[in-house]
Amino acid sequence: MSRQAMLLDPAIRDWVLIPIMIVMVLVGVVRHQVTVLLNGTPKKADLKSARETKALQRCGLLRAHGVHIPEQAFHGRKAFLSEAFEKGTYLKEPNAGNKPRGNVMQDPAYVETMMDGMKKNMMNIIPQTVIMGWINFFFSGFVLVRLPFPLTVRFKGMLQRGVETHDMDVSWVSSLSWYFLNLFGLQSVFTLILGSGHAADAMRDMQAMSTMGMGNAAGPNLSATGQPQDMHKIFLAEKENLDLTEHEWGLENVETRLLVKYGKKPASVLLDQKKDKIARLAGRQGSGASSPAAVAAPSAAAAAASRKKGRRQV
Amino acid sequence: MSAQINPDDALYVDMFIAKNAQTMNFIRSSYSAVLGLAAGTLGLTNLSGFIFYLLGSTFLSVLIFALKTKGQAGLYFRKSLDVFTEGVSGGLFSYILFWTLLYGIIHVYD
Repeated sequence: MSRQAMLLDPAIRDWVLIPIMIVMVLVGVVRHQVTVLLNGTPKKADLKSARETKALQRCGLLRAHGVHIPEQAFHGRKAFLSEAFEKGTYLKEPNAGNKPRGNVMQDPAYVETMMDGMKKNMMNIIPQTVIMGWINFFFSGFVLVRLPFPLTVRFKGMLQRGVETHDMDVSWVSSLSWYFLNLFGLQSVFTLILGSGHAADAMRDMQAMSTMGMGNAAGPNLSATGQPQDMHKIFLAEKENLDLTEHEWGLENVETRLLVKYGKKPASVLLDQKKDKIARLAGRQGSGASSPAAVAAPSAAAAAASRKKGRRQV
Repeated sequence: MSAQINPDDALYVDMFIAKNAQTMNFIRSSYSAVLGLAAGTLGLTNLSGFIFYLLGSTFLSVLIFALKTKGQAGLYFRKSLDVFTEGVSGGLFSYILFWTLLYGIIHVYD
C-alpha cells in the first residue's frame, strides 16, 4: 500500500489538533472535581439495614472459614444463624413478610438513589455531548493527523467520520475521530493528574449509559433490575446454603500433611488416609459404595489448607 | 450472594487484590503513555510500533516480577501470570493516542 502524500497546514496542528486534546483533558479534570462535589460524603446506612447485610456477610464468612473453628462452635453458630434467618430476626421490618409491597416509586429512599444515579449519569453525558457538538460545529471535515499504522477499509467509517472522500487512505484521521481517540486514550493522563480511582473515566461512561441508575451499597437493597428485593427470601436461600455446608475440621491429620509437605513422607499417605476415612464413614452409614462427591470435598479442603500462606500488598 | 464459596478464595484478601490490580493499572497506563511518546518520536510505523509496545510492556512486567514481587507473584495476585497480563490491553489505547500524536506532530506536519 503506497502512502499518500498529503500536506497539512501547521496551523491545523496548532489550532485544532492540540487544542482538542487540551480541552478534553481540562474538561475531564473539571468533571472529576464536580463529581467529587456532587457526591459529597457517602450516605450512612441506618442501623437496621446495616444489620441486614451484616447478617448475610456473617453467614458467608461462616461458610467460607468454618473449617478453622472447632466442630462444636461451628454447629452452634450454624444453629443460631439458621434460626435467626428462619424467623427473620435481622429483617428491617420483621412483620412486613406477607404484606404486598407498595409502589416502589413512593419509597423515598428508593427515589433518592434513583436521583443520585441520574445526576451522575448526567454529569457523564453532558460534557461529552458538548465537546462533540463543539468539534462538529467548528472542525467538521478537518483531516488532522495520520495514524502510524495501516488499517483495513472497514475502519474508514470510524476514523474518517465527517470526511466523505472515497479514495483517501484509511489511516488519515478526521477531527471527530481524533476526539474518540482522545476519549479512550486520555485515561492514562487522568490517572497521572488525578490519581487512580478518578471520575473522569471514559470507559465508565459507557458502562453508565448501559446501566442507568444503579443503587449503591448504602441505599436500599436493589437487585440488578433496580427493584427492591425481598430480604426474607434472600435470608431463606442463605439458610439453605448454610444447611448444606458440612464441617470439615481444618486441623485434621495436620501432622501428616506437614510431613508430606516437607517431603518426609510420600504424598500417597494422605490418599490412603482419605480412603480409610471414607471407608469408615461409609461403613458407619451402612452403605457400601462411596459417592464421588464425598471423595471430592475433603481433597479440596486439604489442598486449600496445605497452601495456606500470608498474602501481602505490593 | 454466591451459592458456592471456593476455598481458594479464602486465601486472598479481596481488598489487597483490588489494590494491587489498581497499582498495576496505574503503572501500566502511565508507562504506556510514555512508551507511546517514545514510539512517536522515533517515528515507528506499522508493525514495528506494536512490537515496540509488546517488548516494552514485557520489559515492565519482568521488572515488576523480579524487583517488586521478588519472583513470587502468586503472593500478590490470584495467578502469577496476572503480572504479565494485567492492564496490557487497557494501556494500548493510551499508547496509540500518544504514538499518533507525536508521530503526527513530528513526522506528518513539516
